[in-house]
Amino acid sequence: MSLRVPALLVMHSDLGAALLRAASSVYGPVEDVEVLSNEGLSRDTLETRIEERVEGWTSGGLILTDFWGGSCHLCGISAARGHGDMAVITGLNLPTLLDYLHNRDQYAPLELAERLRQKGRDSIRIHQAETA
Amino acid sequence: MSWALHRVDDRLIHGQVVVAWGRHLRPRRIWVVDDATAASAWERKLLTSAAPDSEVRVVTVVEAAAAYPEEAAAEGPAILLVRNLATAAGLLEAGAPILRFNLGGIHYAPGRTKVNDYIYLDDEDRAHARRLLARGVILSVQDVPGTRAVPLAELEPDLARA
Repeated sequence: MSLRVPALLVMHSDLGAALLRAASSVYGPVEDVEVLSNEGLSRDTLETRIEERVEGWTSGGLILTDFWGGSCHLCGISAARGHGDMAVITGLNLPTLLDYLHNRDQYAPLELAERLRQKGRDSIRIHQAETA
Repeated sequence: MSWALHRVDDRLIHGQVVVAWGRHLRPRRIWVVDDATAASAWERKLLTSAAPDSEVRVVTVVEAAAAYPEEAAAEGPAILLVRNLATAAGLLEAGAPILRFNLGGIHYAPGRTKVNDYIYLDDEDRAHARRLLARGVILSVQDVPGTRAVPLAELEPDLARA
């Protein structure tokens, strides 16, 4: 059993809060996940807000963001710099968030990150409509 | 003329630039003009990785002003990003003949007052805006290509009277 891997959702608009709410409706009450929106924040302010939330992560953790190249991802990378086992994951979706919740007590942070990447990829599938 | 957009945005490269303006303009090159960022190899690497479809160049104001005419003559399009109005005015004063800046994001900080949802200015910002307007530079407020560009002086009539 590993220590619980902490996570911070950093996303555009209300996406982080909405994803967490949706996850709660499937998973049940969610503890120990924080949410931050980039809305109205400069790069410096967003980076500071992320740093404030991750500075207590003594054994690493995951910053979960929406897309590569956005301020959530870039400020997450800046804030994570110099910390130990910390990773920023882009492209978070609901199946991936649920997988995080189910597995956060079983893995070390970077192993969990790798698992979530695979889960995220596998979660996008095409189910073609059948002829009537 | 390769230059397709000159933008003031305190997030420099981020979603609106990569997704909205990037899809709209398909820039070959993105010039990030910021002395502090250019001084850090780590920051340069981070920004270079942020826009995989464009070549990102992170340079100082002096370097950007020197390279400006050559880029203008190159095959574009190219985007130029600065963090604030002080750098925008500095570029003009260093010799870059920029005719227009898009104001895309100057966010709240203590001392700044609201112009619209994504533009907040303090006295120093307004002084730099006046310097730019006095040089005939058009300052237009617009976050993404799908919204209407509004002249800053329309939102801040006092600036035009200076």
